[in-house]
Amino acid sequence: MKTMKLKGIGKDLLGMALLFLFLLLFLFNDSLNNSEMLNNIPSALINVNTIFLSIVLEAIPFILLGVFISSLIQIYVSEETLQRFIPKNAIAALIPAALLGAILPLCECAIVPVVRRLIKKGMPLHIGVVFLVAAPILNPIVFASTYFAFKDPFSQTNTVLYSRMGLAFVLSIIIGAIFYAVFKNNSQQLRGNVPVHHDHSHQYEEKKPTIFSRIRDAFYHAVDEFFMMGKYLIIGAFIAALFQTFLNRDVLQSIGTNDYSSTMVMMGFAYLLSLCSEADAFVASSFRSSFSEMSLVAFLVYGPMLDLKNTFMLFALFKSRFVLVFIVTVTIVVFAAIAILYGIIL
Amino acid sequence: MKSYDHSFHAYIQGIILIGFALLMLGLVLSGNIGYYIAPQMMPFVYFGMMTFFLLGVVQIFRSTAKKNNQEEHQCGDHCDHDHQIKGPVWVKVLVYSIFILPVLSGFILPDRMLNSDLAGNRGIQFGSGLDLAQAAPEGADSPDGGEAPLSRAEAYLEDPEGYMDDLLNKSNESTGEDDEHYQIEDFYDQEWFDDFYLEFADELEQEEIITVTEANYLDVMTVLDLYLDRFVGKELEIIGFVYREADFEDHEIVAARFSMTCCTADAGVYGTLIESEEATEFENDMWIYARGVIKKGQYHDYQIPIITDSYLVEVEEPDSPYVYPSFNW
Repeated sequence: MKTMKLKGIGKDLLGMALLFLFLLLFLFNDSLNNSEMLNNIPSALINVNTIFLSIVLEAIPFILLGVFISSLIQIYVSEETLQRFIPKNAIAALIPAALLGAILPLCECAIVPVVRRLIKKGMPLHIGVVFLVAAPILNPIVFASTYFAFKDPFSQTNTVLYSRMGLAFVLSIIIGAIFYAVFKNNSQQLRGNVPVHHDHSHQYEEKKPTIFSRIRDAFYHAVDEFFMMGKYLIIGAFIAALFQTFLNRDVLQSIGTNDYSSTMVMMGFAYLLSLCSEADAFVASSFRSSFSEMSLVAFLVYGPMLDLKNTFMLFALFKSRFVLVFIVTVTIVVFAAIAILYGIIL
Repeated sequence: MKSYDHSFHAYIQGIILIGFALLMLGLVLSGNIGYYIAPQMMPFVYFGMMTFFLLGVVQIFRSTAKKNNQEEHQCGDHCDHDHQIKGPVWVKVLVYSIFILPVLSGFILPDRMLNSDLAGNRGIQFGSGLDLAQAAPEGADSPDGGEAPLSRAEAYLEDPEGYMDDLLNKSNESTGEDDEHYQIEDFYDQEWFDDFYLEFADELEQEEIITVTEANYLDVMTVLDLYLDRFVGKELEIIGFVYREADFEDHEIVAARFSMTCCTADAGVYGTLIESEEATEFENDMWIYARGVIKKGQYHDYQIPIITDSYLVEVEEPDSPYVYPSFNW
C-alpha cells in the first residue's frame, strides 16, 4: 500500500515538473530565441524544425475538428439511424457516398477519425473507403484553391481543375467497389477487435444521460482520439519535414523524363510531401514549367488520397493488411486512370 | 500494479495539451507564428489553441474525478478501450515523448524563416507561380508565347470596349453553371482576372518607380511576366533576401522571397535577378534593398526581367518575411 502511495506522489510530481518546464519555457521563450548558442545550430536543422512545426501546427486544428465531429457522431448518431440511411444494395450505396464526400468540407487529416467512427458505428467498410478518398478532394475549398492556382489568363478552360474533380469522383467509386470485392466477407478491418454491436448500448440503458455528461463524454472521446492519432501525425510530419528540407527538386526533373515516369515521380513526390489538400494546388502550379499537366493532375489526385502522414494514421486505426491493400489499390487505380485519361482520351 | 492507471494518463495528457496551448499562445504573442502559418489560416490556430486549453483543463479534472468516482467515464467496462496506450512502460514513455518533442523544439529552437539553403533545393522561380506556363517557357525559338500577352494588350488598347465585351462573352460561356455554387468564382472569374492584371499593369506604368511590396509582390511578378515589354527601361525597387544559383556569375544575385499559402510545407521561392558590380559584397540570406532599371533578359531559356545598374544596400528583415497570394477568402 505504501509503495503505491509513493508511486502516486512520484507521478504527480512528474506531471508538475513537466507543467513547470512548459511554463518556464513559455516565459523565457524570447531570450531563448535570441541566445547566441541556439542561433548557431546548423540552419538545415532549423529548417527541418520550422517545416515540422509548421505542418504540426497547421494540421492540429483540423485533426481536432475531425475528432470532435467523430465524438459527436459517437454520442448522437445511433447505429440504427445510420443503418436507415445507408442503401441496402452495397454497390448502389457507392454513388451517394461519393456525393456526400463532396459535401463534407473535411481535409485528409480530419476525415480519418470521422471514417473510423462511422465504420465503428456499423457503416460498411467500402463506404468508409469512398469517404476516405473522396472527401479530401471533392470539397469547396479545394475546388477554389485549384481554380486559382491553375487559372490561366490565355485559355478559357481549366482542365487541371476539372480533371482533378472528375477523377476524384469516379475513382472514389471504383476504389470503393474494389474494396467491396476484396473485403466482402471480412469487413472487420479496424484495429482492436471490437464487436460492433455491443459497442455503445449504454446510451439506452438505465437513466438517460444528461446534456452535461454528454458534453463531457464528447470531450473525453476527443482527447482520447487526439492522443491515439496525434503521435502518428507528429512522426509523419517529422519525416515529411526531412524530405521537404533535403530533397532537391532538380532531381525530380532528371528522373521524370517522359510522361509516364514523370507521373510516377510526381505521385511519389505528393506522397512524401504530405501537403494539405487545400494548399497542394499552389505547389503543383509551381511545377508547371517543368512537368506535364498529366503528372500534375496525378500529383493533385494522389496526394490527398494517400500520403506519408496519412499512412501513419491509417496504420494506427486499421489492420495492416487493410492499409497495404489500400495503398496498392489507390496507387494502381490512380496511375491507370491518369494514363487512360491523358494517354487515350485527351 | 497491472491495471491501467487512467487518472495518471489523463493527468499527463492534460499537461501535454496545455503545453501545446502555451506553445501556440507564445508564438501568437511574440508574432513568430508568422514564420509557421499563413495569416489566412490563423483562425484555425486560435481555434486549436482555445480547444487545447479547454481539453487540457478538462483532462486534469478528469484525472482527479476518477479517484473518487468509479463510474465517471460513462462507457465503463464495455467501452472500447483501444484508446489506451498499450505495452510496457518504455512504450508509454516513448509515446508521450513524441508529443512533448514538438512542444520543446518549438520553445527551444529559434523561430526563423526558411533560408537560402532550402531555396536552392526548392528551385527558384523567376516570375510568378500563379501564371502562366505560356509566358515563361518560350525560349528564343518559339515566338508564339511571347507575343500573346503583348498582342492582347494591344488589342485592348486599340478597342477597349470591344475587347472587354469579347472577354465577357467568352468568360460567360466557360464558367457556366458552376458560378452559382462557388461565389468566389464570380469574384475572380476570367474577365476579372485579366482585367485585374491589365489594370494593374496600367497603374504600374503610371508610377515613376515600381515599388514591390509584400502586398503586391506576387501580382507585380505576374504582371512583369505578362507584360514585360511594357516595363523595359522603368525603375523598380524591391526588398528580398540574397540568394545565388550555383551557375551564377560574380555580378549576379537574386532578391528572393518565400511565398506561403497555408504553411511552410507549401512554401515556394520567387526571385528577381539583379546585376550589380557590388553583388559580391552581399552574402546569402542577407536582406537587401535593390533599386535599378528593368531590362529583358534570359536565364536557362526563360525570358525574365533583370534589374541592372542597381543600387544595393543591406536592410533589416521585414516584419512579414513571407509573401502571400493576394486573394483572401
